[in-house]
This record gives sequence, structure tokens and C-alpha cells, in this order.
Amino acid sequence: MMKGLGFLTFVCVLFLVFPIPVSSQVVLRMIGPEDLGGAWTEIVGRFHERNPEIRIRYIPGPWSTDQRQDMYIRSFMSGDPYELVYMDVIWTAKFAEKGWLLPLEEWFPPEKQEAFLPGDIEAGHYKGRFYRAPVRSDAGVLYYRKDLIPNPPRTWREFEEICRKYSNPPERYGIVFQGMQYEGLVCNYLEYLWGAGGSVLDEKGKVHLETQENIMALEFMKKIIDEDWAPKSVITFQEQHSLEFFEKGKALMMRNWPYAWKILNDSPLRGNIGMASFIRRPGKESASTLGGWGLGIARANKHPQAAGRFIEFVTSPEAQKILHFKRGAVPSRKSLFTDEEILKESPHYRDLYEVLSRARPRPVHPDYPRISSILQKHVSAVLVGIMSPEEASRGMSRSLGGLLKGRREGWLKRLTLDSDLHRTMKNTVLFTFLSVPSEFFLGLLMALFIHLPFRGRNFGRLTVLIPWALPTAVMAMTWQWMFNNPFGVINDVLMRAGFLRAPFDWLATPGGAMFAALFADIWKTTPFVIIILLAGLQSIPKELEESLSLDGAGPFKRFFHLTLPMLTPFIRVAVIFRMIHAAGIFDLIWVLTKGGPADSTRTLCLYLYDLAFRYDEIGYSLFLTFLFLAALILMSFAITRGLTLRYERIGR
Amino acid sequence: MKRAVIYFLLGLVFVYCLFPFLWTILTALKPQEEVFKLPIRYLPERISLENLKSVFYKRPFARYILNSLLVAGGATLFTLWAASLIAFHLRKMEIERSLKIQRWLLIMAIVPPALLVIPVFMAMKKLELVNHYLGLILPYVALNLPFAIWMLHAAFRQLPKELDEAAMLDGFSSLRILLGIILPLSRPALAVAAVLVFIFCWNEFILALTLMPSQMRYTVPVGIAMLSGTSVYEIPWGEINAAVALTTVPVILLMGLFQRWIMEGLTRGAVKG
Repeated sequence: MMKGLGFLTFVCVLFLVFPIPVSSQVVLRMIGPEDLGGAWTEIVGRFHERNPEIRIRYIPGPWSTDQRQDMYIRSFMSGDPYELVYMDVIWTAKFAEKGWLLPLEEWFPPEKQEAFLPGDIEAGHYKGRFYRAPVRSDAGVLYYRKDLIPNPPRTWREFEEICRKYSNPPERYGIVFQGMQYEGLVCNYLEYLWGAGGSVLDEKGKVHLETQENIMALEFMKKIIDEDWAPKSVITFQEQHSLEFFEKGKALMMRNWPYAWKILNDSPLRGNIGMASFIRRPGKESASTLGGWGLGIARANKHPQAAGRFIEFVTSPEAQKILHFKRGAVPSRKSLFTDEEILKESPHYRDLYEVLSRARPRPVHPDYPRISSILQKHVSAVLVGIMSPEEASRGMSRSLGGLLKGRREGWLKRLTLDSDLHRTMKNTVLFTFLSVPSEFFLGLLMALFIHLPFRGRNFGRLTVLIPWALPTAVMAMTWQWMFNNPFGVINDVLMRAGFLRAPFDWLATPGGAMFAALFADIWKTTPFVIIILLAGLQSIPKELEESLSLDGAGPFKRFFHLTLPMLTPFIRVAVIFRMIHAAGIFDLIWVLTKGGPADSTRTLCLYLYDLAFRYDEIGYSLFLTFLFLAALILMSFAITRGLTLRYERIGR
Repeated sequence: MKRAVIYFLLGLVFVYCLFPFLWTILTALKPQEEVFKLPIRYLPERISLENLKSVFYKRPFARYILNSLLVAGGATLFTLWAASLIAFHLRKMEIERSLKIQRWLLIMAIVPPALLVIPVFMAMKKLELVNHYLGLILPYVALNLPFAIWMLHAAFRQLPKELDEAAMLDGFSSLRILLGIILPLSRPALAVAAVLVFIFCWNEFILALTLMPSQMRYTVPVGIAMLSGTSVYEIPWGEINAAVALTTVPVILLMGLFQRWIMEGLTRGAVKG
């Protein structure tokens, strides 16, 4: 035994000094989306051929761009960032403001910047320095059915006429766009706002939203839904939904990104699709929201030169062509829009160039994530009909003004003002009070059942324990798959049993997502209740039960007069323990719904985590954590009191 | 009749508890095109290992497993080592005092990890242990120690104190009493504590996500969660299910192997604690 322990200690010490393997080659890492089509593999391969001393590690990350942004932020905060930062336009300001990025003028002096589209270059600047070299460009465009409408609308008025004349809901609507509450909604909304002649910030950087233009933009968006020019369900649409809807021929027009072109031209609609600039108010200028991706260099990085060389290569015409042909990415270099090879395959690039050269970036601000979330909430409220356009324009103007003015109120005052906090607290309380009682009753039933003497009881106990032992975050993926629409098994089972007539999109509707989270949580944590209650059941002396039943007490009487009173301390432990953990839930929801849709499942811990790792407000986050912890610790005192009393009774 | 009802209920419980797991296994064994086939078929038409393979070929899943094993294994060793020393010492104390100490420890154990992650991250950053195995092992030990002490203490206390006294008279040192007498006699409790602590660490998510943000340091749960976002684009569900199956099967095997002791250890801990 002595030897065994010595060995264990040795192993432990080994862990203490376990080194991180170091490679002699220069290794640069970047995170991007899954490399479908193999464009990045080819680019990296060609770069390796020419620069054998550098290794690029392209890490395929999650599809969700928010999640990739979080990965970058966490890595910056850890002090060991991914060297190459592949970023969305809207990340630049924040990353630059935090000092995480290295300016790129050394590799991209102003004369070189001129070769790129002006919007992309503008979006790469922050406070006069250049941080992000554009790799692929993107901008909102209006697709229309050439075979159904003679000319694409240029103004809101022409748009109305076309919709009145040619649309025929529910068979064929006028337009589909992205109306769900997420970043895409902001892109859509800004195109109406700009098209009305408005803007989010004025030239001095002040909020400029309590304006006639803003009200008109919101009114017009609302009108599109009210008049049935767009389907009502458009408020749950993201890009892919709109595309599928349009592809089925159910709409005359669609607002989407250029990637849709290739897909539409591989569909039966081939040849009938046109592309145009987005609509505007008569006499104003049309503008598209700029999207797109670019590369920057992390400041805490030992090999900026190597990284710079890679970025130069990725933004070269050669690499952009690979991205174009293998992935359908729109180039950011002006010259490629007249490139014969590209035009032969994509003749629409001539039109696209027009749109791109008029694309405008979203507000460049380090607090953009919060700005966007405020805009999303208000626009969505208008579309759903909870707010009038006037109310919304006043509301967004005030919230934004408050955010941008002094960044913060005092923490205590913020407690009353922070609408995210209130929302997440409400969700947390709702979640806790729906899940704990269900777990308790289910657990009690199952514990009583498993406690019955029958052959195979041990097998039953093992079965019941299993959900508890499986990793929550991992099983959340399974639940996501099971609640999937249309491939999920839960819809299938419900439809076969006759409970559902059509598949239900559980994770995309607020109520459905909450239900899914509750269901998964109850499944996962009921075993914990069972363990505790089983311990309680085992502590009840058999003789008592026998003597009661000899006295002629039936099973119900025995349960209420003996079992339940004896179980009470255990019930208290189980319930309070579960309440604390339900209130502190993170893993399951983070993986299953990410708090969505529209924050309907976002609980307090998700908010605290976002505050620290996305909004960069560690102080406030810790303050809230402290309050929350204090409340929970008070509760735990209650638990342990109960436990000790119990213990003393048995122990003596 | 009564038996029929009981076994029917048992079957129901079995389906309810294991269905998600079984469904994952079934999906993992389907070939790629069958995963996305409508209407859904419950049993695979053709069993294929394509998804399982591509988890290892297309993604560094082997690396994730190695990371998880190192972290969970290391944390388990550390935890048991410290817990047996502490529990041994608690055994010598008066019962009231040892309970008081355990109560305080328990309070720590109750705090959800999601509330600890930010301070722990800041501490580990100061210590320059972010992205380092030790930086994850240390918090795991801290989180699991109260529980391990609790279980070991419950087991140690069942041994008669006369044992120690006799050994003491024979001139044994405290450490030798622990190593030579107490630990060997509490082997089942040790095994159960080890299995449970290992499972907890193997399963842990939020600390692993935050304290080892570099991809080559992902543990298995983090690696799996990162396989997809909430986007509607094509998500590799076949591979995800294969990865989930690979992660959960060992847990279920461990539970099966130690089933009896685990149930006993858990309920005893609850009664006694």
C-alpha cells in the first residue's frame, strides 16, 4: 500500500510539471467555419508550399458566428490568443478597442487599401487605424422573380404596387426577409432606415433615432407584414428559412445575401432570378448592409510577420478566386469584379458590384453587441405588434442614448434599470419553479417504485441512475437532435401517436424551447432526487411498517402516516439542493438553446457569463454573482441545518 | 398480475431513462445519408461505422479524449489522496467538530460551478495556468473534495476505533495506520468515490470551456458542444451522435460495473451526512 501511494504521489507530481508541448515551427491558428468545398484547405496548402517554415492551423469552429466570436474573446482573455483573427465586420471595433489587435498598415499601406471595396476598408478601420483586411465581402441584396414581375422595384411605392398587383397570399407572397430576433434582423432594419434617409448615429456619433425617418422605416416594415405582403411567419425566419421559402416559389422577392445566388441557380428557378439594390424611399439613396469577413492579427502573438504574410496571401486575387470558386464567396478586391473567369461563371457580379459599392457598415462601436441587442428587441417588438413604431423609436433612442452616454450607472442603480437582468431572473425563477416540483414528484414516484421488493430491482436502480451520470452538456446535444425539426424523433413519435398533426419547431419557438429545456433537465436530474429519497426510504425501520399494516392500515394510510413524515428531512434536502442547482443552470441551456430564441430561455447564469466574456463587464458580473451567491448560501445553511439535525438523531 | 404491472412499469422506466442514449447510439450507427432521411426509420437499415471513424479522422477527437482522461484522471488521484488524509484526520476528532467542518465543506460543494467560473478564471490567469491541465485539475479537486471527504469519512467511521488504538500500541505511525489498515479496509468506498469523482470531472463543462479555451486543450464535452452552433446550416448530426455515444458508453460501463457499491455508497453518504 505504501508503495501504491508513493506511486500515486509520483504521478500527481508528474501532472504538476506536465509541460505544454512546444513545436519548433511557427504555428499560426485561426478559427473559421467548417471548410465545406475545401477552399481553405487549398489556400493553406498553397501557402505552405511557398512558406515551408510556417504552419497554418485552420480550426473548423461552430457555425454560429456568435459562438466563434466568444471563442476568440475567451482566447484573448486567456492571454494565449489564436494568432490569426478571422472576424465578422461587426467584431472589429470591439476587438480593436480592447487592444487585442495589431494595426495592419505595415502590410496594407493606404495605396494598397485602394484595391479593395471602399465599404470593406472603412469597416476595417477603428479610430483611424486599420485592423482588419477584407477577405470576402457581403451585402444585402434584393432577389426577384424575373418571370413574374417585369422590373424590380426601386422605391417603396413601386414595391407596394408590385405587391398589390402580383402577390396572391397564401400561395404567393410579395417578399420574404429575415424577421427573427437576431443579428440578421438588424441588417434588414438598417436597410429600411437608410433607405428612408435615416441613420443610427449622426455625424458626431450621437444617437439619432427619435426621428421621422426611423418611424417611417418601422411603419413600413410593419405594413409589409400587416398587408400580408410577407407571410406572418417571417418573424421566425433566418436566412435559410427565407431562402427555402423563396426557392419553393412562394414569394416574388427576397432580401438575402449574395450566397443565395448559386443555390437558386442550381434550383428549378434557374434563369428566372434577378438581383437588384434594396428599395428606398423616393428621392433617397438605396443602401445595403455590409457583411463580410476579414483577417486580423492578435497583438499577443510572437510571429506577427508570418501572420502578416499569410493575410497578404489570403487577400490576394489568387486566394480570393479560390474562395469564390470553391465556396461562392464574394471577393473584396475591385479588380475581380471585372475578371473574365469570374464573370463567365457569375455574370450577376456586375449588378452585385453596384450594390457592394453602396453598402454601408453597421455602427462601428465597441459596444456594438449591446447596440444590436437593443435594436433587435425594439424592431422585433414592432413586427410582433407589442410596440407601436413611435414607441419603439423613442424606446431604442433612449436605451441607446443611455448606453452610449456615460457607459454605466452605479451598479446598485443598474439593478433596477438592467432589463436583461430582469428578463433572465424571470426566466430563472420560471425554470426553477417548473422543474423542481416536477422532478420531485417524478422522483418520489420512481423512488417508491424502485424501493418495492422485486427481482430485477438492482437493474432498475442502475437504469434510473444513468441519466444522472451522463454528461449534461453532451446529452444536451442529443436532446437538440431529438427536438430537431424535421429530423427529430420527438416530433415523429408525437405525430405517430396522434398528438401532433404537423412537425413542431421546438427549439425555434419560445414556449417550445422552454419546454425542451425543462424536459431535458427533468430527465437529467430526477435521479438525484431518487438517490436522496431512496436513502430516506431505507432508513425507515421495516418493523414499523409491518406493525402498521398488522393494525390494518392500507397502503395510502401507511404512506401518509409513516413514510411521508419519515421522509420529510430527506425531501427538504433534495428540494433545496435541486432548487439551488436549477437556479444555477448553465450547461444544458448553453448547449441546447444558447438562451434563445429571443432570450426566452436565457437564465441568470448565461447572462452572468455573457457579461463577463462577451460584454466585457467582469466587475458588474461579479457583483451580480456575489448577490446571487449570497442568496444561495443562505439557502444552503438551511439545508445543512436540516442535515445535521437528522444526523444527530441517527448518530446518537 | 401484480408482477405484470411491476415489470410493465419497469419497462416504462427503462425506456424513459435510456431512450435518449439509445437514440444516439442508433443515429451514430446510421450511414450519413440515412441520418437525414424522412420519414425517420428507427433502426438503421445498414449499420455503418462511417460516423465513428470520421470523428477521429476529420476531428481531433482522440486528442479531446486524451485531454479528458488526463484531467479527470489527475483530478481523481489528487482528490482521493487529499480526501483520505482529511477524512482520516476528521475521524480522530470529536464527532461534533468534524460535522461542523463538513458542513462548511458542503456549502462549497453546493455552489453551482457556473457561479465560480469567473473568479476561478481570473485566478488561473494570474497563475498563468489557463490552457494548462493543472489549471483545470486544481478547481476540479476543490469542487470534488467535500464530496469525497464526505463519502470516505462515512466509510472510515464504520471501522471500530479500537483498531487504531491497537495499532498505535504496536507502535504504528498515523500514516501507517491510514495506509496499512484504514484504506485497505475501505476499498469499496475508495473505489466508489474514485468512480464518481472521475465521472463528475469527465462530465464537467463550463470550467473546461473557460479554463482551456485553446482547441488542442478541449475536453470531450467541450469538443462536442463546439461541433455545432444554433445555426440552421448543415450540422454534422451523424458525427455528433457518434461522439456523444463514444463519451457516454464508458460512463455507463463504469456505472454498470460499480453499480451495487455506488448505490450503497451514495445512499449511505446521504443518510450519514
